[in-house]
Amino acid sequence: MHLVGIPLAQLLPIFGIAAAAIVGLYILKLRRRPVAVPFERLWERVLKDKEATSLFSRLKRLLSLLLQLLVLAALVFALGDPRTAVEVVKGRTLVVLVDTSASMKAKDGSGGKTRLDDAREEVKKLVKGLGASDRMLVASMDAVVTPMSPLTSETGALDDAATRLEASDCRADFARGLRYALDTLRGTREPEVVVVSDGGLGEPRDGLGSVKLGDVKLSYVPVGKGKRNLAITQFAVRRYPLDKARYEVMIEVQNLGEKDEDVELSLFGDDVLVDLTKLHLKPGERLPRFYPALGGASRTLEARLGIAPPPGPNVKAETDDLPADDRAYAVLPERRRTKVLTVTAGNTYLEAALLLDEYLDVTTITPDKLAATLGAQKFDVAVLDGVGAALKPGLPTLYLDARDGGPFKIDAKKPLQEPTFDTLERKHPILRWTALENVGIANGTKLVPGEGDKVVGASNEGALLIAGSRQGTKFVALGFDVRQSDFPLRIAWPVFLLNTINWFVEEDSEYLSSFKTGDVWHIPAPLGVTNEVMLVDPAGKEHRVPVQDGRAVFFGTKAGFHRLKKPQKPGEPSGDVLFAANLVDPLESAIAPKPDLMVDGKKGGEVAGFKVGVRRELWIYILLAVAVISAIEWATYHRRLTV
Amino acid sequence: MGFLDFLRSKAPASMRGGRGARAVVTDEDLFDDAFQRKLEYLAIVSRRVFAGRMRAERRTKKTGSGIEFADHRDYHPGDDFRYLDWNVYQRFGRLLLRLFEEEEDLSIYLVVDASRSMGFDMKNHESQVMRGPKLAQAKRLAAALCYIGLSNLDRVSVVALSNRVRDRMPTTRGKQRIHRVFEFLRGVDAEGATGLEEGLKQFVAQNKRRGLAVLISDLYDPKGFEQAINVLRYNKFEPFVLHVTDPADAQPELNGDVRIYDVETGEEREVTITKAVLEKYEKAYEEYLKEIEVFCTLKQVPYFRAPVDEAFDDLILQVFRRGGFLR
Repeated sequence: MHLVGIPLAQLLPIFGIAAAAIVGLYILKLRRRPVAVPFERLWERVLKDKEATSLFSRLKRLLSLLLQLLVLAALVFALGDPRTAVEVVKGRTLVVLVDTSASMKAKDGSGGKTRLDDAREEVKKLVKGLGASDRMLVASMDAVVTPMSPLTSETGALDDAATRLEASDCRADFARGLRYALDTLRGTREPEVVVVSDGGLGEPRDGLGSVKLGDVKLSYVPVGKGKRNLAITQFAVRRYPLDKARYEVMIEVQNLGEKDEDVELSLFGDDVLVDLTKLHLKPGERLPRFYPALGGASRTLEARLGIAPPPGPNVKAETDDLPADDRAYAVLPERRRTKVLTVTAGNTYLEAALLLDEYLDVTTITPDKLAATLGAQKFDVAVLDGVGAALKPGLPTLYLDARDGGPFKIDAKKPLQEPTFDTLERKHPILRWTALENVGIANGTKLVPGEGDKVVGASNEGALLIAGSRQGTKFVALGFDVRQSDFPLRIAWPVFLLNTINWFVEEDSEYLSSFKTGDVWHIPAPLGVTNEVMLVDPAGKEHRVPVQDGRAVFFGTKAGFHRLKKPQKPGEPSGDVLFAANLVDPLESAIAPKPDLMVDGKKGGEVAGFKVGVRRELWIYILLAVAVISAIEWATYHRRLTV
Repeated sequence: MGFLDFLRSKAPASMRGGRGARAVVTDEDLFDDAFQRKLEYLAIVSRRVFAGRMRAERRTKKTGSGIEFADHRDYHPGDDFRYLDWNVYQRFGRLLLRLFEEEEDLSIYLVVDASRSMGFDMKNHESQVMRGPKLAQAKRLAAALCYIGLSNLDRVSVVALSNRVRDRMPTTRGKQRIHRVFEFLRGVDAEGATGLEEGLKQFVAQNKRRGLAVLISDLYDPKGFEQAINVLRYNKFEPFVLHVTDPADAQPELNGDVRIYDVETGEEREVTITKAVLEKYEKAYEEYLKEIEVFCTLKQVPYFRAPVDEAFDDLILQVFRRGGFLR
């Protein structure tokens, strides 16, 4: 017999203290209720007979005390959680990996139950069938692995862990889950991994290669039976760069079931139906759709896919087994009018390019009116053409034909003759969709970048285009006069200008209309937020999210519209950032359950050794015995059999 | 104003006298109209029972100048020749003197036990007010016997007793004096411990005129009832025991761990009341009653049990039927 609970060294003092208390209480005289009688001598006659049996009474009282001490000893013994030696040796260590990926939301169970509901039931069955010395850990496995319980034999904690399992909107990372389980089981006795899943887990392979199970036993509990599923597997939207009132949408839908389906694809802009298309999809067919030049939505777009209702009135449309991938979400980049101050002695190319974007309010002044204008009006962006002026805090500035006086230095000793862009930082936002390699330039100025500035374009002799910021105010400097080059004659010129203005006002041309669930998201944080920001997920739950380099970093697992909340001051407009996330994962949408699970060449076997309804912990039976003894003692006491 | 009118002006009747009645009776309504009507009835019945006897002609144990022959004894010089039995002398040649029972009016002493146990009510054992049914029954019995005695022109006295003579009503005659008896009995409270022997010793010392001594008591005497009755016997009183009993005393409604204490002596005893203990107690109580009855029978002391739940008039009638009270 072994004690796996409280050790004997602690049990003995507990017993000693409790026994002393019981004996003390036993010695204490019972305070009896006083009752008057007319003639006490009559009672004396009666009690003489009882006193004759006082030895027996004392013996009964002693037996009663002994019984209580026995009950106490049993309780203390139960605290020690006694196990037989055989059980202690044979106890298993189990890690139950419950697939909580999006496919587990499939409603193919009886009574509309999801696969996760079935998985919960399966886990609870395993918990009920645990052996006395078995220990178990329940972990949720989606894109990350989350232990829901400690490694324990406490059935209550394990049951609770099973109840708290929740499906996400992302794919399960099986390799990560298995590696977590194997790390947990390292060095334990009788290790076993139990995977509760629909089997859509893929090959457990990651950067370290395939997962090797070693001696660890693998068991598989399959759940799910449905196969019928339609999914939106791609969804993207973008505004046209030169006509931002309009946008273009790309949707890809796929039939992952085994029969032909007539489907309806709806597109909602700001919750208003923008387009409804009926499609016919063959089994396995993937169908991309493009919606060019759409208008009417300013912020949100949502695509909904459903099985077309059969013809006839009052006929309800069927649904596929997995509704989670029937919707996709996107957020259009926010558009607002940008006030641009152009300071130039006269530059037709510049003025013409700025006319292309109807959302720009352009004010053009001559250099001599710069100070007065800045003092009187407020602008979002300044473009200084051949003007040397300091960078005004809060006013991002594009320096064309950069001169001294700006937030950068100019190497005047080395004017550049017929330079070209020999190196370009193509990933920089201001160069998106441009090609500057063969721009012909007559004369240029070598720019000297400051600390933290980025050389975006440079000839072999020096920097021609730099970007940077001073105290949070961005600037871009171009080291030549565009009129002495063929740059304005190229498509790249207005695009460069608009890219730069967009970069200044955070209208990122690399804007993503939606994120993918199961990835780490880098969301542009609201202006002015530096350390952390509150993220509100589609369910309304708030998460505190760190901000790094102006971006909120968050591991997202829920599809839908999310919001980054900016702390709002009174009278200040809301600076919240809205963004979308989608599942769009054909592998996850393929919900047909897999009957077998293969890992490292081993096939996951059926679970065994779980006997539901049989608890092998002795303490339970000890407690039951104590309860029975107490009940008997109570009954005999109140029937005055033992007093 | 006659005693009936006098008593009629008292509190309304609450004592209905049926078997099993157990109302809490105050002294004011102990002797109400209904009670008095029953007394009248009992007096008439008693006259019928003892019809033909002359008033105040009660036989006594004394021999003297009466007309009823009692016995013979040898003649001694100085005896009255008139009482020599010449017929015996003629037949046997012995001078024997004829003895006659002396006739005198009877003295009836109603000795009421007024100890705390008489006022104790087992059914209201938590109550500190000593107005139990036994004392009330004792008072009613005493009043009834008084009235009958007074109606027969006997000399009647009432004594309240605990471990001493607490109070006594002087000897009186004539049924019109019954109101004095009522007033006296109303003033009797249950006080003190039972000590019948000491109390009766004091009683016999105070009453030189012997007669019928009716002891009305629950006989809960820690020193024993025997000595008390013997005090009367040895002092040439004619004891008559009216044993007032309360069925609630035999079957106390107790349970569990209790500390019992004697309402008179305060003696304590811890006991765990079980069904078996209650059965034993009931048995002990019955044995105690039996002991009293056996003792009285052996000593030829008229004994009569008067449960509190029996109507007093029924009890009095039974007393008459059994005889021995009024001879």
